[in-house]
Amino acid sequence: MKGNKLFYSMSIIVISAMVLAACGGGATTAAPTQPPPPTAAPATAAPATAVPATEAPTGCQDIDAFDAAAAPTDKAVKIAYSQEPDNLVGYYSNMTYSAWVGQMTQPGLAEWNENSEYVPDLAAEIPTVENGGMTADGLSFTWHLKPNLHWSDGKCLTSADVKFTFESIMNQKNTVLSRSGYDKIASVETPDETTVVFTFSEPYAPWQLLFTSGPNTANPILPKHILEGLDTLDGAAEIHQPTVTAGAFVPQEWVPGDHLTLVASPSFYGGKPTLDAVFIKFVPDPETALAALQTGDTDLYPDFSESDIPTLEALEPTLHLGVVATPLFEHYFFNMGTVAGVDGKGKSDVDGPCAFKDIRVRKAIILATDRAGIVDALLNGKTVAPATLYPASPFENTDLEPYPFDHDQANALLDEAGYAVGADGIRAGKCDGKDVKLSFNFETTNKQIRVDIALIAQQNLKDVGIEFKPIHTPAGSFFGLYSEGANMPKGTYDIAGYTTGFYPDPFSDNFLCDQIPNAENGGQGNNNYHFCDPKFDELWQAGAKETDFNKRKAIFAEIQKYMYDNALVMPMYARANIYDVSDRVAGINAGSYSYLFWNMEAWDLK
Amino acid sequence: MSAYIARRLLQGLIILFMISAGMFWLTRAAIGDPMSQYATAQNISAADKARIRAKLGLDQPMPIQYLRWLGLALQGDLGISQFSRQPVSELMATRLPMTLWLMVTAEIVIISASLIIGTISAVRQYSLLDNLITSFSFIGFSMPIFFIALGLILIFAVQFKNWGLPYLPTGADIWDFNNPVEMAKHLILPVASLAIIQIAGYTRFLRSSMLEVLSQDFIRTARAKGLAERAVLMRHALQNAALPLVTIIGLDIPFLLGGAIVTEQVFAWPGMGRLFWEYTQRSDYPVVIAVLMLVSAAVVIFQIITDVAYTFVDPRIRLS
Repeated sequence: MKGNKLFYSMSIIVISAMVLAACGGGATTAAPTQPPPPTAAPATAAPATAVPATEAPTGCQDIDAFDAAAAPTDKAVKIAYSQEPDNLVGYYSNMTYSAWVGQMTQPGLAEWNENSEYVPDLAAEIPTVENGGMTADGLSFTWHLKPNLHWSDGKCLTSADVKFTFESIMNQKNTVLSRSGYDKIASVETPDETTVVFTFSEPYAPWQLLFTSGPNTANPILPKHILEGLDTLDGAAEIHQPTVTAGAFVPQEWVPGDHLTLVASPSFYGGKPTLDAVFIKFVPDPETALAALQTGDTDLYPDFSESDIPTLEALEPTLHLGVVATPLFEHYFFNMGTVAGVDGKGKSDVDGPCAFKDIRVRKAIILATDRAGIVDALLNGKTVAPATLYPASPFENTDLEPYPFDHDQANALLDEAGYAVGADGIRAGKCDGKDVKLSFNFETTNKQIRVDIALIAQQNLKDVGIEFKPIHTPAGSFFGLYSEGANMPKGTYDIAGYTTGFYPDPFSDNFLCDQIPNAENGGQGNNNYHFCDPKFDELWQAGAKETDFNKRKAIFAEIQKYMYDNALVMPMYARANIYDVSDRVAGINAGSYSYLFWNMEAWDLK
Repeated sequence: MSAYIARRLLQGLIILFMISAGMFWLTRAAIGDPMSQYATAQNISAADKARIRAKLGLDQPMPIQYLRWLGLALQGDLGISQFSRQPVSELMATRLPMTLWLMVTAEIVIISASLIIGTISAVRQYSLLDNLITSFSFIGFSMPIFFIALGLILIFAVQFKNWGLPYLPTGADIWDFNNPVEMAKHLILPVASLAIIQIAGYTRFLRSSMLEVLSQDFIRTARAKGLAERAVLMRHALQNAALPLVTIIGLDIPFLLGGAIVTEQVFAWPGMGRLFWEYTQRSDYPVVIAVLMLVSAAVVIFQIITDVAYTFVDPRIRLS
């Protein structure tokens, strides 16, 4: 009977594991409750946006609290996300998925609409010099909040919440991701309940990003009455998963790894949304998401890739494919380590290839790469190869035409630069008196689309006698640390490529001389291009300070022209956001800055 | 016996220390800098990155980082996820029950099916049925699991719906105690995709082990005694043939805790495998190391349990 003991012991292990499983699960998950009928009539609970001026002096009055846990979920749109947000408050998250939930739940002072315009959210209007909200020197901003704003627990949202938000960001005990810009605010004054005055210590042009729920970050106003008194906001439950929000929706239930339920808030300033709820399922595999769309288990998946387009087109008309241009772009860039350092302060540790000193070589590489062909073949022609770095943005310099695909011109430039094709088919010549070959390593991550594009580029460049050797590294090491010798910050690459985007604000410190990581500054800095040019630096610095939109647009147009004329980078393609949505969802109004979820309160189900 | 167990436990502890140190270094080297996820973020300046790195202790030398981690881990504090800033133990506590729910069910299916199919296959060696089982085992064993998983979804969810048949769910919303039928339905496809590959392997193993036993003298003796064929098979042959399987199952059990990375990804199952995969992508090493350590500890413990269990079930092994 020895064998029986084996089976007994195994059964005991298995059964105890099951009991464990059952107990643990029961403890972590609240059993869904039957939704009771709506308690408050939205029409009375929700304050209208326009309140008679005579009522204003009495100030905001608290209203009844809203019980999110008991809110109905009958009319719900089901969305699948491929990633689970880490935190729901943007100051602690850099995830797009977190920003998307932020757009539904936690408004900032302003937001971007479907036309990429900056429009008021909690604020009554955008401060300008004309309306007296902005001083002419661009140093002081006066924001007026909409009257009678409420948190979902019925408490008033006032200028004190805005000030508290600022103080939380700057509090050393809080490990917020970014203090950029906030650290330039010298003082915050709240003359009354609905007025906030920010005074900057120096002009800060990207001021629109601050306290604003944007397309890729959510920087909302935080509830002072909830968070006040916490030693630190790091790891606070109310930051990770807020229960009190000022937006159209309030989180109701979050089962990690499984789903997040948001319910409509009656105290939203725009009135209770048409939908009762939003179910967000976390479905990591796009194939599974596609299957769920087809079975009706989900209504919307916002993050398909270009290769899915033919499949998605075949599912029309019950499922509708949406392709939205974004200002994100994949670009290849040259290691400018040798060109850099002209003024001494931007010196890179490592020299880039000597050949890149010659603009004709850089230009020839761009001309020889069939970017339009890549867009057609690999991206199903759904996007474009842009001229410079601001595709689908109000700051795009539309006067510039993308470099054409022209092998003759590329060959002519390389001949002129003195690089002749050798016996091995690779061009060689002299650079600074030394023999050099036009043979370059290309570093990027191991994402499939990058592997595919690199193969086409390799063939294109081979045809003009340039050797192009792709090296694909996992993203974690590719974007690694200077101290660990990672190629990007160290500058030990010839050509590199990845996706970035300068939006909703066009400024970036990625091209500034003092941002080149090197031994002197301990490897700190965001300038992976290792490029430093005093003239270019000056333009960027001006772009960082100019607060007038039109003047700013002119500066960035010049930046783009400079970049284009000097062939500093090769924009590969402008990224598109690709979503697929069931025909029963109405009211989606997507834009390149705002994408899908910014106007969720207007969504409906047919 | 107890001296043997104590010795093995001590060895296990030493091994776990060595694993933890190795793991700490390897993980950091393999998944890279946790800050690298912000490499192309427009609004996070170099100063911001340096500030966060210092706050998380990432600016310290590796040995200091390791000792700090070890000190806290010994007190049961596995640290804070650098990505979501939640305690790692909390993250794992939400995922482990889900993984066990899936994996234990799968393991029950796998073991029982393998015992039955393997025995039939051995007893009816070279019959049509055995040949069929053999063919299917090889097909099942050589197919990648994501292919099986997506294939099952395509047939039993998408196509079944298209054909107007009752169809199975593809994933998510799986934890609903008020609705056991729905919970069971959610298990079917993931368990099937896990089981197909494992059954294929275990069946081949049991078949050959069974054939070996069946050719031995004591089986012939048992038959000669006039025992019914069923008793011969069940009491004499299977019990002996299943012995080597104990070792294999003992080795597999720890990985039940680690979850099934691919299956959990495809079926959106919120378990440990997915936690591990997602946080590896985010270079969140406190979470990655915690999952690896959990599995390592389980391997060590279950090895000891397996060895001890062997002394009970195999009369040829005696420790004293």
